[in-house]
Amino acid sequence: MELILVNLIDGLVTGLLLFMLSAGLTLIFSMMGVLNFAHASFYMLGAYFAYQISIALGFWMGLLLAPLIVGVIGAGVERYGLRRVHQYGHVPELIFTFGLALLIEELVQFIWGKNQMPYSVPEVLDFTAFSIAGNSIPAFKIFMIFISIAIFIGLLFILTKTRVGMIIQAALSYPRTVEALGHNVPLIFMGVFGVGTALAGVAGVIAGPVLGTFPGMAFVLGSIVFVTIVIGGLGSLWGALVASLLIGWITTFAKSYNIAMSDILNGIGIATPENLGDSALRDLWTVTSPQIADILPYILMVLILIFRPAGLFGKRES
Amino acid sequence: MSTPALELTGLKKSFGKAEIIRGIDLSIGKAERHAIIGPNGAGKSTLFNLITARFAPTEGHVKLHGQDLTGLQPFQINRMGLSRSFQITNIFPKMSVFENVRCALLWSQGYKYSFWNLVARSRRLTEGAEAILDQINLLERRDMPAGMLSYAEQRALEIGITIAGGADVIMLDEPTAGMSHSETDYITDLILKVTEGKTLIMVEHDMGVVFGLADRISVLVYGEIIATGKPEDVRGDPKVQEAYLGAALEAEH
Amino acid sequence: MTDQITTDPTKPAQRMRAGSMTITIGPWIVAAIALMAMPYIFTSNSALTIMNQMWITVVFALAYNMLLGQGGMLSFGHAVYAGVGGFACMHIMNMSDLFAAMPLPVLPIFGGLFGMGLAMIVGAFSTRSAGTVFAMISLGVGELIAACSVIIVAFFGGEEGISGDRTYAMPFFGNEFLQQIDVYYLTSFWVLVSAVLMYLWSRTPVGRMANAVRDNPERAEFLGYSARWVRFYSFVASGFFAGVAGGLFAINYEILTEENLNTASSGVILLVTFLGGVGFFFGPIIGAIAFTLLQTVLSLQTELWAFYAGTLFVATVMFFPGGLAGLLMMHVPAFKLGKANLLVVPYIKTLIPAAIGVFGLCALVEMVFHFRHAATGDDEMTVFWMTFDSHTIMPWIIAVVVTAVGFGIMRMTAPAMKEAWNAANTAGGKS
Repeated sequence: MELILVNLIDGLVTGLLLFMLSAGLTLIFSMMGVLNFAHASFYMLGAYFAYQISIALGFWMGLLLAPLIVGVIGAGVERYGLRRVHQYGHVPELIFTFGLALLIEELVQFIWGKNQMPYSVPEVLDFTAFSIAGNSIPAFKIFMIFISIAIFIGLLFILTKTRVGMIIQAALSYPRTVEALGHNVPLIFMGVFGVGTALAGVAGVIAGPVLGTFPGMAFVLGSIVFVTIVIGGLGSLWGALVASLLIGWITTFAKSYNIAMSDILNGIGIATPENLGDSALRDLWTVTSPQIADILPYILMVLILIFRPAGLFGKRES
Repeated sequence: MSTPALELTGLKKSFGKAEIIRGIDLSIGKAERHAIIGPNGAGKSTLFNLITARFAPTEGHVKLHGQDLTGLQPFQINRMGLSRSFQITNIFPKMSVFENVRCALLWSQGYKYSFWNLVARSRRLTEGAEAILDQINLLERRDMPAGMLSYAEQRALEIGITIAGGADVIMLDEPTAGMSHSETDYITDLILKVTEGKTLIMVEHDMGVVFGLADRISVLVYGEIIATGKPEDVRGDPKVQEAYLGAALEAEH
Repeated sequence: MTDQITTDPTKPAQRMRAGSMTITIGPWIVAAIALMAMPYIFTSNSALTIMNQMWITVVFALAYNMLLGQGGMLSFGHAVYAGVGGFACMHIMNMSDLFAAMPLPVLPIFGGLFGMGLAMIVGAFSTRSAGTVFAMISLGVGELIAACSVIIVAFFGGEEGISGDRTYAMPFFGNEFLQQIDVYYLTSFWVLVSAVLMYLWSRTPVGRMANAVRDNPERAEFLGYSARWVRFYSFVASGFFAGVAGGLFAINYEILTEENLNTASSGVILLVTFLGGVGFFFGPIIGAIAFTLLQTVLSLQTELWAFYAGTLFVATVMFFPGGLAGLLMMHVPAFKLGKANLLVVPYIKTLIPAAIGVFGLCALVEMVFHFRHAATGDDEMTVFWMTFDSHTIMPWIIAVVVTAVGFGIMRMTAPAMKEAWNAANTAGGKS
């Protein structure tokens, strides 16, 4: 029972982290129709910038400044890169962001090298918040949860209660009309792109100390984020939230309970074959849940796509 | 009496609470040229999209040659002999004019998903495509990318693509939209020429265009057909007068 | 065949087409001769290795372009079809009885069949839509299969991968493919066959409709074709040829690992294809040749070659979306007008300084990298065959000056080049 609680907290941390990325990605996608392949790269930049700033000015300044810098870079990418490629169509846009992801990874290696950076949890938060049946929950995780939820509420507030939010929502569905009403839609696009990437930056700042700050971090999380928004339904913010939490919990639980495939198969009444050693299906029988934890999101995605192509909360494809 | 080429029974369509098409019954016989006209916002395009299965009807049925079209995909309907054009020019802009027409011929000539035939080797394809190009007067533009044609030429090409497959029911969605007078006359003549002996259903905003063209006209107002009949009868119908004049008066305010 | 089109020289369109019928065979003969002659020009073993790699990439890139260029489907996981084809070939190599009864040149067909089989399974649900959704599915499926490679050890061999020995095959006219040169001719044969088949595919009804669906799926549906099935056929065919490339890889390297499946490999093939140009059939061929050369030459010279490749890629997407083939074909009108010679001098005046500027910039990049990452005390570095101390000021000044001067001259002469370009493409007042 206690272990379930610990896993729930861990899964929540992962899920909210995913959501910070997938929320920005979804906003950008529903507004501009382009899936930003480099989104996780901005998350990585957030972590690296925060590390660099934290050396000089401490963690908190990093938390404040790094997302800002990332957001400005993101806005610049939209203004000088994407807007240019936009005229060629959607596929080149996607290819552009893919190239950007490659380039940012190389750039990070160029500046910081291939090794993991010693970016760590600040001392103020480096203690155990509480323990559940011998499993200590670090304060930083609680901090991560609070930051994510605060950002989520802030985003919800801005989108639904402020004038800017209204304009953004309107621009999501009717860019032409909004433009005709005298709003600068390209500027809104740039702003949304900037904010979306800044969100990814925040995620990087708070995830860097826990998940490690290394050149592969974008890739590790990146493809999961894409899977998340496909599962949630492209363009649906609620779908992104649900899918993020779902994936967070599924992977966490799969990792902490060691269930072998043979147990499941035996459980549903299929006996393990005698001479498993030679069988070609051997690997299938001996596979355990921690082994496949990381590919569960992909399996889930394939299943969703087969049975519900528009995703959990997606509208039907037109 | 033979089965009508196209038959609509109790056709309704709502978007949310707004009922756009409110029960249409219409029967169009073989080789008839039928025009559906109506003021703006009458639901003409919606009706058009219902017939061609772009939208699913809320109620009612569409029958093509007596066969129900409910639940069919556009390509299946096309194979049953219905071909349509689009209100917004809808061609393959990057391919050559010739290529556009040739693609339109492939299915009807039985090539299906063949990957063992070479299109350039088929004399029937080439000649067929050239015959169509000749009909729509675009033979000289044969090797130009379709996207570089003038607007009227693109519309003509679209009609060419629509008739190329040999479908016997042709649906045209505002084929003269956005054209000058001379271009309109050109396209009208073209339509007369290429739909010889075929069933034609066209949606048109401009009443003037259809009088020389249609055997029968239906007037669609607010999702209902208020009159169907020969052009001259429809013109004299007081309800039609009222609908059009009313709309014109409203527009003046 | 008597089914040939009758040509009427009075009709310009038909004259053009009649011409194109005869030209189509020409390039293939040239390609065949070039393939045969290459080993006599580049005789070293390393050259053979590079060429083998090049041809395999050519097959793979052409297969990839069946999706991207001709079908408008962007795949981020196409390496798995090549990879699975390769793994299947590896397993066949290891089935000694079967393999001993099979001549080696037949093996790539099996690679193709397995690639095709996988493509049929995945394509069944992934080709429902093109665009973003397709791209995401391809990524997810790619990741899934790549991740499976460490789990399903029986097929993928885990971390070490699967290795075999091609010489156990049935001798093919006495040849056991012991030498690199034998493998070269086997690969060359398959490159030519695959390229011809893929070219012919693009000329079949389904190949033509792939273009139509790419440009306008809705219109294609009203021509009687299901966009989904057209995509499916392209996808399956592309899977087949990707599998052939995988089989050739297996024959060449005699080992396949997870690396053949992962997203990085899929990314590379996207890069190669796009660099070469997706708009023309021969684009991916140029891309594969250029990229392989770049990779082998640059990776010997600098650790940063991936950085340069990434930069080049992004620059291509932003400024030359037609890729190298697009750049080449841009010049066709000028040649047809007989005005290409107008371009030579302006090109020299602009592009050579630009190249110098790029070299200067690369030197700066290398110096920054060395300054930041070299071990303490290791101050000496070599850039462009010059060795110097990266911690002194002089080399920096020189590099900055070279860069500035190079780009400066380029900016000065660029307007003249633009004018020359316009002039070369203008015939009788009409552009």
